[in-house]
Amino acid sequence: MSRLLQNRTVQILLGIIVVGLLLYFLGVKMTQGELRAFISAAPEPLFCMSGQPAGTTCAIPFTNSLLMTLVVDVILIAIGLSLARMQLIPRGFQNIVEMAVEGFYNFAQGIDRNNVKKFFPVPATIFFFFLIANLVALIPGIGSIGLCETTEGGHAKVASIATMLQSAPVAQADAGGSSIFTGLPGFCGAGHRLIPFLRAPAADLNVTFAFALVAVFMVELFGIQALGANYFTRFFNFKEGGLGVFVGLIELVSEVSRIVSFAFRIFGNIFGGEVILAVMAFLFPYILPLPFYGFEVFVAMIQAFIFAVLTLVFMSNATVDPHGGHPEHGSAELEPELHGAH
Amino acid sequence: MDETSARLLGMALAIGLGAIGPGAGIGIVFSGAVQAMGRNPEAEGLIRTYMFLGFALSEALFIFALVFGILIGFGII
Repeated sequence: MSRLLQNRTVQILLGIIVVGLLLYFLGVKMTQGELRAFISAAPEPLFCMSGQPAGTTCAIPFTNSLLMTLVVDVILIAIGLSLARMQLIPRGFQNIVEMAVEGFYNFAQGIDRNNVKKFFPVPATIFFFFLIANLVALIPGIGSIGLCETTEGGHAKVASIATMLQSAPVAQADAGGSSIFTGLPGFCGAGHRLIPFLRAPAADLNVTFAFALVAVFMVELFGIQALGANYFTRFFNFKEGGLGVFVGLIELVSEVSRIVSFAFRIFGNIFGGEVILAVMAFLFPYILPLPFYGFEVFVAMIQAFIFAVLTLVFMSNATVDPHGGHPEHGSAELEPELHGAH
Repeated sequence: MDETSARLLGMALAIGLGAIGPGAGIGIVFSGAVQAMGRNPEAEGLIRTYMFLGFALSEALFIFALVFGILIGFGII
């Protein structure tokens, strides 16, 4: 027992638990009384780029997720520029980046060995953008620091989940939390809601939908490049009678539904993760969110990976002749060589 | 039944029913992966990669249900 207490990790964990319990019983609760942590389903405009006054509907809003996307872009470009002069023997930071790129490249080689050089930029861009975006979005303060704005009737569409939690019976029964933080700029009083400066890009359906459109467009483009007009025979197949037409129709529908499933998969995971963290922080602050936070880190990485890998698989699928023209990479879609990766 | 209770019921049903399929699916994914690892321990790294791919694809369905449940329950849609 005493040896266990000397362990540094155990000490840190115990410290977190003790401090959390202390704060909890002191009444410092994130979602109590005047304190609110906001999550809204849609991104909020920070200011209007088309010059209209605030309050009316804005044609081109500059949203907080757009700002975050620009921040992530700057991070990615800075990583790229910092490696402008590559060294033959990698050291330090270059090692990490090379490991990430090479690891993903080797995995992509396992999926489609012939076309990986041509395909690689698109899935790699998606992977690294969403990897950085999702991980940066988990830094505390990203969705919780912002300006307060008065809630009006016009904002009823952008209902915030925290206000719903506020009116939940539990919150009312347990009223009377301390208001230590209400004086701080990050917290808004009643009748106000927080407009955070930054919002996870993947928690904005516009961003994920744009990425899904680009990904599916590139899939079609590579398919047409590889097969020419022959590519469209998989959708409009009149040679094999009624069944061929029907199968082609199904292919067409599944092609369109890919956009939706791409967009909603990553949006749902990241946005759902934010909601889960907020709800858990409401149920039992400081301690209960910890395991979910770890799970969100895992989800952030795996969802970026899934988006990229599915794009790659669809691309390699689209370049294969539907009626069996290229036997050399006809069936090698999800059968990588065992010693290729790892 | 007024709107609030209908929404709460809808949220609970959406999340609960939406968890059935992905739950079974994730179980199948991991059972298959564990069996494959037992038969061929050398391919463990590769199997683990595809295991997480399949896990995340099944789990995404539950996330859809969760998000739509939340959107219904909190009156956003």
